[in-house]
Amino acid sequence: MSAALARCAAGDRAALQVIYDSEAARMIGVARRILFRQDLAEEAVHDAFVRIWQGASGFDPQRGTARGWLYAVVRNRALTIHRAEHRYDGADESALEEIDCEAAIVRLPETSALRNCLERIDRPRRDVVVLAYVHGMSHSELAARLKVPLGTVKSWVRRSLFSLQECMG
Amino acid sequence: MSMHDDDQAMAANLVMGLLDADEQAAAERRLTEDAAFADAVSAWRERLADLDATADPVAPGSGLWTRITESIQTTPASVPLRDGQSSARNVTLWDNIRFWRAAGLVGASAAVLFAIVAIGAVVASIQLRGDLVALAQRKPVYVAVLVNDTTRETGAIVNAFADGRVELIPLKSIDVPAGRTLQVWTLWDRTVGPKSIGLTDQARTLQLDLQSLPRTIQDQLFEITLEPEGGSPIGRPTGPILFKGNAARAM
Repeated sequence: MSAALARCAAGDRAALQVIYDSEAARMIGVARRILFRQDLAEEAVHDAFVRIWQGASGFDPQRGTARGWLYAVVRNRALTIHRAEHRYDGADESALEEIDCEAAIVRLPETSALRNCLERIDRPRRDVVVLAYVHGMSHSELAARLKVPLGTVKSWVRRSLFSLQECMG
Repeated sequence: MSMHDDDQAMAANLVMGLLDADEQAAAERRLTEDAAFADAVSAWRERLADLDATADPVAPGSGLWTRITESIQTTPASVPLRDGQSSARNVTLWDNIRFWRAAGLVGASAAVLFAIVAIGAVVASIQLRGDLVALAQRKPVYVAVLVNDTTRETGAIVNAFADGRVELIPLKSIDVPAGRTLQVWTLWDRTVGPKSIGLTDQARTLQLDLQSLPRTIQDQLFEITLEPEGGSPIGRPTGPILFKGNAARAM
């Protein structure tokens, strides 16, 4: 994947297709958890691939994995669309209520350090990490969903992230 | 941890997507300037990356790859400029055996290419009829020409097609300051107010999202405004109107 990004940076369009063939379906899955709608998720992945093409030279393999970088681009584009679209009106209300905070955690491999460290944080404090990262919720959306004041949400986020950092190194 | 807690929190919140538009613009600027901060952001990406793998794969629509290739056609990759490596060495082409080998190969391939093109031309004329039919179906039903109010410059056109597809085609490049974004709006009913239908960080062809809105009608307003990155925070245009125009039926 890292090599494919390097080839993209050199203008090799076939390398972009390699990334697309390997990752597009998962990327749409990631975008759909934030946007719910298939059309918007595809728009996010479209925008992400344009960004990946333009920004491939900005990826530094010394710094992190290609996958980490690629999915950061996808989530960034999905969040941009999400903030612009006001997802939370009308029809999506029920989909939103059906979000199960634990679903993503139990899908993490048993051996995942992230899983072990998340499980050490008590609910509902760890929910903020999943709801924000996986479902793109903002501070105020988290406050509404968890029925706690904004200040409480912010301190939960801060403390959860701090303990993740401590636990994972 | 060598980094200040606040910087760590900023890096984590950037990765989490929890920064507001201004904070995010500041954090993204820092990414390019501050190596320690960029390292912290990467570390957070790696810590949380396992969660991306928990998403169910969803097959993309068949047209998605085509749309991506169309979009990158107009936006070249960030190809590093090659400096004149060969001219630096003081050797003429006459001395370069590799050049003449290559030239021979190019000559041979040109002959093969000609044969392929000749065969292709016959096939193409059969395809042409089909393409012309497709082209007729591609003609927009409504067109809006988006003009700047003060300079009277035309900035973009919006095409609305019979199948409900609406696209925006820029006619000039637009300077977008860092931390800002171009947002496209439409207004067909003043009581409803403008609706956001597209967001882009540069002037490029956009498929606008009007699926949740009624069919485009005569005189429907389209406009492009300059907004904070991530789009207007209040769901209505807040920035200056760069270009606007009303839809008119195509003849």
